[in-house]
Amino acid sequence: MALHHVESVVHPATLEEAWAEKERRGKTARLVGGGIDVVLYSPSTVSTLIDLKALGLSRIRETATGIAIGATATMTEAIESPALKAYAGGFLVRVLREVASPLQRNLATIGGTIGSAHPWSDVIPALLVLDAKLAVYDGEERTIPLQAYLEGRRGEASPIICTIDLPSDSASSRGTLASFTRTGFDVALLNVACCGRVAGGTWEDVRIAIGGTPGLAARQGAAEDALIGNPATSGTIAAAANAAAGAIDARDDLRASAEYRRTLARVLVERCLTEIVSGTEGGAG
Amino acid sequence: MTITLTINGKARGVDAAAGETLLEVLRREGFVGVKSGCESGDCGACAVLMNGRAVNSCLVLAATADGAEIVTVEGLADGDRLHPLQEAFLDEGAVQCGYCTPGMLISAADLLSRNPNPTDEEVREAISGNLCRCTGYTKQVSAIQQAAKRMRGGDDD
Amino acid sequence: MTERVDRRFEVVGRNERKVDGVGLVTGRPKFVEDVRSPDTLVVKILGSPHAHARIVSIDVSEAESLPGVHFVLTHENTPPTRHTTAGQGYPEPSPYDARAFDTKVRFVGDRVAAVAAETDAIADEALKRIRVTYEELPAILSIDAARADGASVVHDEPDATGIYDAARNIVADVDIDVGDVERGFQESDVVVETVCETQYAQHTPIEPHVVLAWLDSDDRIVLRTSTQVPFHVRRIVAYTLGIPMHRIRVIKPRIGGGFGTKQEVLLEDVAALVALRTGRPALVRLSRAEEFIAGRTRHPMRVRVKLGAKQDGRLHAIEMEAVSNTGAYGAHGLTVLANTGSKTLPLYNKAENAHFFGQAVYTNLPVPGAYRGYGATQGYFPLETAMDELAERLSIDPIELRRINHIRAGETSPIFEKLGEGREGVSQTVKSCELARCIDVGADRIGWAQKRGTRRTDGPRVHGVGMSIMMQGSGIPEIDMAAATIKMNEDGSFNLLIGATDLGTGSDTILGQMAAEVLGVPLAKMIVTSSDTDVTPFDVGAYASSTTYVSGTAVVRAAEKVRDQILDVAAPLLESSPEALSLADEGVVAPDGRRVGLDRVCQRAMYESDQFQIAATASFVPTESPPPFLANFAEVAVDTETGRVEVLHYVAAADCGVAIHPKLAEGQLEGSIINGIGYAMTEEMILSSRGRVRNPSLFDYKIPGALDLPKLEIVLVDSYEPTGPMGAKSIGEIGINGPIPTIANAIYDAVGIRLRETPFTPERVLAAIEAR
Repeated sequence: MALHHVESVVHPATLEEAWAEKERRGKTARLVGGGIDVVLYSPSTVSTLIDLKALGLSRIRETATGIAIGATATMTEAIESPALKAYAGGFLVRVLREVASPLQRNLATIGGTIGSAHPWSDVIPALLVLDAKLAVYDGEERTIPLQAYLEGRRGEASPIICTIDLPSDSASSRGTLASFTRTGFDVALLNVACCGRVAGGTWEDVRIAIGGTPGLAARQGAAEDALIGNPATSGTIAAAANAAAGAIDARDDLRASAEYRRTLARVLVERCLTEIVSGTEGGAG
Repeated sequence: MTITLTINGKARGVDAAAGETLLEVLRREGFVGVKSGCESGDCGACAVLMNGRAVNSCLVLAATADGAEIVTVEGLADGDRLHPLQEAFLDEGAVQCGYCTPGMLISAADLLSRNPNPTDEEVREAISGNLCRCTGYTKQVSAIQQAAKRMRGGDDD
Repeated sequence: MTERVDRRFEVVGRNERKVDGVGLVTGRPKFVEDVRSPDTLVVKILGSPHAHARIVSIDVSEAESLPGVHFVLTHENTPPTRHTTAGQGYPEPSPYDARAFDTKVRFVGDRVAAVAAETDAIADEALKRIRVTYEELPAILSIDAARADGASVVHDEPDATGIYDAARNIVADVDIDVGDVERGFQESDVVVETVCETQYAQHTPIEPHVVLAWLDSDDRIVLRTSTQVPFHVRRIVAYTLGIPMHRIRVIKPRIGGGFGTKQEVLLEDVAALVALRTGRPALVRLSRAEEFIAGRTRHPMRVRVKLGAKQDGRLHAIEMEAVSNTGAYGAHGLTVLANTGSKTLPLYNKAENAHFFGQAVYTNLPVPGAYRGYGATQGYFPLETAMDELAERLSIDPIELRRINHIRAGETSPIFEKLGEGREGVSQTVKSCELARCIDVGADRIGWAQKRGTRRTDGPRVHGVGMSIMMQGSGIPEIDMAAATIKMNEDGSFNLLIGATDLGTGSDTILGQMAAEVLGVPLAKMIVTSSDTDVTPFDVGAYASSTTYVSGTAVVRAAEKVRDQILDVAAPLLESSPEALSLADEGVVAPDGRRVGLDRVCQRAMYESDQFQIAATASFVPTESPPPFLANFAEVAVDTETGRVEVLHYVAAADCGVAIHPKLAEGQLEGSIINGIGYAMTEEMILSSRGRVRNPSLFDYKIPGALDLPKLEIVLVDSYEPTGPMGAKSIGEIGINGPIPTIANAIYDAVGIRLRETPFTPERVLAAIEAR
């Protein structure tokens, strides 16, 4: 439905212009990437939309430090990009392929997905376990960890996301996501993203993020620390899964109960970690 | 505001309020083949090609679509000649009430423009955002495969 | 023309392109909203925030003072006539318990007021400015609460009629028996009993309810509406608004799905009132959220089945008790309740003792109505799972147990006579039943013998197979009436005018095929016009799986009358007598091979000699309702760690009589089965503790999409119904009844749990596995 409260749409040509508009208008303005969440969730206080598509932030390319995904690149563009094909064994591409529907993937931007920070997002936990950072602009250019951006969102002055930077040392990791949904075209009741490297039967590196608890995705530091440096066995995996499931703030909502979410978290962490160890990653749900 | 849209090959200036969606604008411009089923991106009945990609027109702000090339179901046929997808949907019994059909055809057209020889799974994936309550999808999948075969030249089986 | 699939016929049995198909695939303006004039007013409805409340006052002054608002409709300025919204034949077997706008609201979303305005934005703004004071009343939020002592009364208005016991919230009460079940159970060697509960589920047609009303140039009200029941709409709107019926015309154009939710007069009264009072066209449309909240739903039910059998597997006693939640209004309450028994119990006619009883009760919850399956769906869940339990107790294969007990051609069941659509039924003998063959084919395709009882594992998943059988009906005997008119044109084409309502089912096409078959012409020469109360003769509308059998017979009869007229005109041209002539290939053929074209015949009748319009009307009221039959088989994989059940393979073998259009018949089964799988696995309207729908969107009410398909096999077995037009019965509803019991039985085979509550969500399944 039309957003009756929106009075104008501006198309700034530079980041400075975009930021100036945002600062000037405060809560009455909203940034637009693909626009999906703007159409679906804008409060009636929003009267100006700031279209970021003219800023040229859609490229996806390899850099010296890894991969830079332009914030207004669509999910489809990311899926089709040569740069992401091999990164972390194609992990992010696999994740994006399952998000929503092709119709929405053709429209939704990676930056917009992060900006909306839906608790059911599959993309955010995947980026968290890749140790993604964001190049942002809020009058000056900075790079911040994704986690910091997500935590800072509750405040007023969220910066504009310019690129999502994937570090080169995640490039050789294996990653997998389990997104537990009701039907094939659905959001997660709970999701688990794992990324890691096993060498000589030992966890060299492992990262676990659980989302949809129904809270926003977060890394499971305690479970990760318990694994790193230790043998990659079904025993350590089971223990880590238990720990992670116990650590999440699971709650009831209309999609699932807290108890079921805890069960799912344990089962899915176990399955994801097992996939990484056995090299069979690609859909644990 | 006035935006320029090239719809089914013809450019035109179109009036749109700042917060209007592409769905509303297209239907007002007479493209009633673009259907409204939910207005929240959940059903896919409103799908159109925008710059070659199938999107939910109910989720596109018209103001951000200035300059775009749009193809609606009305633009799939070539004059009197139906698109192979349209022919196949008719032949396979893939049209029941027809309300989801325009969106389905658009998603299928996008798929076949990029993947002329899809697996059944790829076909289902391509229409995964188009809900249908009448058909159970079975004949739509076979219709899309029929069309793909015809578009490939029809001989390889 | 397409290939002849059924060699007995020329046109029938071909997979013809639908007569409306080209326009549908090219996006031509065919649906209600697709053609409207720029001066059309928007109408929006204010829904109640409370489940149960009296409206103490409504102040619309602020809303009406907004520029662009024409007026606000409330109980203060609309007719108070109590009526039913159920689109059923007159006198409707549903209570007259609804008002256009009432002084009381009975569910969250119930009508409070309606705004007529120039634009959506203005209407939305006006809704916010209507000031309503409510006196909240205790809300009934469950079947048990409805029947409890001292329960609040949902319908306490003095002018409601047709309610069985309003003071106790009982809309309907049914109780029939055959023999003596109590003695029957005592005489049985084994008795099993199960209670199953089904949930609030919704049809989710992709096109919501919508109606466009306007005054034509003769000041008659025209309603172009997305409906399954145009003639009932006309009658009920006339009655509700106190307008002569002859001043109303109802047209059904193409509609975007119905499935029962549009067997209801939901919005037309409001649209008509706005058009009448403003002289401007008025569009009333439910948003998707309103479709969930204020549309119609499935009747949630609690159904208990008790079966008693002898050691040899023969059923001796069946008892079914159904309690149905009919929501805030009683539309379809009685008839869905009765159907729960009337479409299930006759299947097992070997039981000499049977008892069906139950009640439909009011609650302050969303309003159920007609939904494909119409009670049978809820009844087959406990019946077919109890049969499985019985088979296990008797150590008989579930398939064998069905074979021993199901009805056969040449047989009857006393239930046919005792239980109909809310009243007594009609006695009948089944004349076609290929259920045995359906079972054979299905069992073979699913690999029953190889898979049943094996509990094959793959990782954490366990596989199982299950089955069920069922019947439905074809129309409502002695109640449904359909009519058809055929007139001839001088190019040898015909106009077929039918009241019958094509929801997308393709009835225009198949009825056209039947007429074309009789008259010896290709389908292209049969111009079909349907569902216009000014132009087409009467038809009850699309429900009860009646169109092929009832409307089809009317069409065939009309075609035969026209054929006779053609032969009479042609006889002198061929120097023969009419009895010796026949129709073929667009002409009349004499025994000696001479031929005259149909165009020539019509020209003669129209212009040359003894001129008259070759035309006929015929009607049909069925005296029986020959059941279609279905055998369902499914293989599932149950993930024992997450509870997720995946339906891997589903086989449906059906006896629908002759399939007039095989692909459309298959399509009915495919669509209803996938819908049924959603009903079994993922669909659930979730209600808050205050009776509000918490998930009124397709985002959180999950229906199957293309990624959720099992391998689906449909088999139409060869069959012929002697009382049916060209041998046809019906196929529209029966498929939706299969998935719940079939999947439940397959889950039992896999992991040994009996699920008695739908949907079979992963969380529910896992809890049952852990409780094992």
